[in-house]
Amino acid sequence: MMGYSMELAWHGLRRYPKTTALAVLTVAIGLAASMTTMALLHMLSADPLPGRSQHLYLAWFDAVQAKSQTYKSLDNDWSTYDYKRLKTADAEALLAAHKGVLQAAVADLDAQMASDQREPSNEHVLATSSDFIPMFGVALRDGRPWTAAEDAARAPVAVIDTELAQKLFGTTKAIGQVVQIKHHPFRVIGISQPYAPQPHFYGLNAWAYSGSDRESIFVPFGAAVDAGLASSSTDGCDDVTEKSKQFIAIDPIHCEWLAEWVQLDTAQDVAAYRSFLEHSAQQQENSLASYGKKPQWQLLSVQQWLTLQNVIPDNVRLNVMLAGSFLLLCMVNVAGLLAAKFMRRGAEVGIRRALGASRRAVMLHHLLEAGMVCLLGGVLAWPLTLLGLSLLRMQDQGFTDLARLDVAMFAGLFALALGVGVLVGLVPSWRVSLVQPGLQVKSA
Amino acid sequence: MRSILAPLRKHSLMPALVLLQVALACAILCNVFFLAWQRLQPMLAPSGVDADNLILVDNLAAQGRTYTAAESVAGEEALRAVPGVRAASSGFGLPMVSIASLMVNLQGPTHAALSVNAFFGKDLVRTLGLHMVAGRDFLPSEYRPWGLGASNGPNSDWDTGVTQPIIITQTLADKLFGTAPAVGQLLHDPDAKDKSDHGYQVVGVVKHLLRNEVGLATDGRADYTVLLARNIGNTAMLSYAVRVSPAMRDIALKGVKDAIKRQFGGATAGGARARVETYNHRRDSAFKNSRAALWLLLGMVLAIVIVTLVGIMGLTGFWVQRRTRQIGIRRALGARRAHILGYFLTENLLIVSAGIVLGMVLAYAGNILLMHYYELPHLPWAYLPVGAAVMLVIGQVGVLAPAMRAAAVPPVVATRSV
Repeated sequence: MMGYSMELAWHGLRRYPKTTALAVLTVAIGLAASMTTMALLHMLSADPLPGRSQHLYLAWFDAVQAKSQTYKSLDNDWSTYDYKRLKTADAEALLAAHKGVLQAAVADLDAQMASDQREPSNEHVLATSSDFIPMFGVALRDGRPWTAAEDAARAPVAVIDTELAQKLFGTTKAIGQVVQIKHHPFRVIGISQPYAPQPHFYGLNAWAYSGSDRESIFVPFGAAVDAGLASSSTDGCDDVTEKSKQFIAIDPIHCEWLAEWVQLDTAQDVAAYRSFLEHSAQQQENSLASYGKKPQWQLLSVQQWLTLQNVIPDNVRLNVMLAGSFLLLCMVNVAGLLAAKFMRRGAEVGIRRALGASRRAVMLHHLLEAGMVCLLGGVLAWPLTLLGLSLLRMQDQGFTDLARLDVAMFAGLFALALGVGVLVGLVPSWRVSLVQPGLQVKSA
Repeated sequence: MRSILAPLRKHSLMPALVLLQVALACAILCNVFFLAWQRLQPMLAPSGVDADNLILVDNLAAQGRTYTAAESVAGEEALRAVPGVRAASSGFGLPMVSIASLMVNLQGPTHAALSVNAFFGKDLVRTLGLHMVAGRDFLPSEYRPWGLGASNGPNSDWDTGVTQPIIITQTLADKLFGTAPAVGQLLHDPDAKDKSDHGYQVVGVVKHLLRNEVGLATDGRADYTVLLARNIGNTAMLSYAVRVSPAMRDIALKGVKDAIKRQFGGATAGGARARVETYNHRRDSAFKNSRAALWLLLGMVLAIVIVTLVGIMGLTGFWVQRRTRQIGIRRALGARRAHILGYFLTENLLIVSAGIVLGMVLAYAGNILLMHYYELPHLPWAYLPVGAAVMLVIGQVGVLAPAMRAAAVPPVVATRSV
């Protein structure tokens, strides 16, 4: 029966071709609008480091010797930055405790970089500690990451990515070469693949999504401080800090600038780390009390962190909602078009019913026809979606570079098309299956 | 009336689908219009400044130190020396410069408190080319130094120990004092606990001045801007407003670029380059995202209108065709063409009106859903009639062709079997 219904559906599709074309086009536009916006949302909410991110946690406790710095305005809550960073000594204490499987302190900096051959250029520098490269899965092409001993010795060593190596030295075989960072020599000990997880969850203060920005050089944070590199923003400074050191060239001793990431593999690890962090926070109780603060601490998973920072731009979700409602409108429209088309052949259905076709068979035939219309719409929606995404990429909004259709979303498009087809076909098919056999034969 | 309602009850699928389409389209349109208007308001608000002859300079941050008051003034003087420059002020929180902005909460004696953007800088009224409608500009003796993240000695704190003069916009004067004259009135920070301030006294009122947080320039808040009597002293970040004579705009822009390069050359932090652009250029880039969003919303409106129009035409066309015989009978019984035309137009009016009622409920529900995810005020009631009017027009246009075809049915059709 299925094959026969298929055949009838295909035949029906080709009658009243104008109505069919209109229905297909309407479905295609609705699907394309929805898929374009959903593909962007899908890319923006993707896991930045599949397989790793579920074991990574951001650890923070409050140790700033100053009053809480929030200031309320009437229109929106304004506060200082809140990227849950730590002062140097506190970050070092957490590193030295070795309570996680791996742990790294991370800060995003900018600096001028030069080699003997090249003019200086500005690069993003990741000031971090030895565990970062294994923990965050930075792929090394050549050489080695630095060691904990080199961290402790504040050794001026660097891991650079292949593109920076090419830029500075004209080759990716740059082990042993020297990079000048603000006129301080750093020896290249490793060459990595370009590393740019999206979103840029370990440095949201610098950017969240970018097709062009990434840190091209990794250095020990102690050596970075020695070279005069400083963060351009802070979450808070001790009361003793001069005002100027809170804005330009952050004072690393008294201001929060390093984010502490830990790898915790099991639930027990997480629980143990929580109590460790709580203990660290409690130790600040007395010194914080004089500033009217209570001990505060947080251990956040990557997902919690991304949600807390609200990294997905609001208008991306808004557009998904608008496009979704538009698809709904298109669906009602197509349901109407199909109902009109189906009812036009009421007489024919009456004859089929009189000849013994069951209601179910009639309904199946029309449902299949509706499904075909929507599948065709899906096929047409594919190039339209690609067009929509390329239009999105043309808008230079940082995150729009990521607007692409991956395999999952491509499959999603056709699943959606089929789902829409069944939903859209339901009412018209049911209506046409109600056609009385006798009556139609008589009037026809 | 009964002749219209009876067939609607009997064959309810087609009218129900039209009704549903109208309701959905109406709900989406109301919200889309509202979103578009939110984006459009800041773009339509008058700037209040001499836009065509204004150049803005910012992104000046010293490498690892702060600028001194002397450097801030030297910059002003270097800019004034450029041929074609009429006035230059070192300022903070300048128009269209949103890298750092300042907010102040103000409350007058009677009306509610407002949160406004504050602009700092010497002689800004003249440099920006503001239009004064009451009172006076600040006196040279009234300015006190201020800088971002740097100390400027005694009397430079936020609380200066005395009441500070303030210049407000006409909009603020109306909102804060109603019909009473603004000049001479006192204002204070309602949140007095964090700054024990001595308040402000209004000395002047300017016609317009668009705030620099343009995202907040909606719902009549575009002119929520004040000028405070502060000149820029030691500071971590410098910015300048430069007014040039219209005849020498291009030469002056180049001159200003050169002067900034000479004056601040390689001293900017992190290799950041100074931004020297005309006000209009700044405005253009500030509204880039809004423009893109507006195009998207316009495309959406067009798509909705077309889809709905096609849908109504298709459905009504079919439904009219089904009733060809009844039309023939009515014509044979004496109904005129105009009656038939009127019948279908009225029928459509009824269905669309019912759709609009449902659509308004959906529009409101949609708005509440959007507010949940998106920083958005309540949908004002005024949008509902707009959406309704659009839907009525779409409905009538959509039904016109099928109705005319129906009116053209000759009475003789009634005698045929089909």
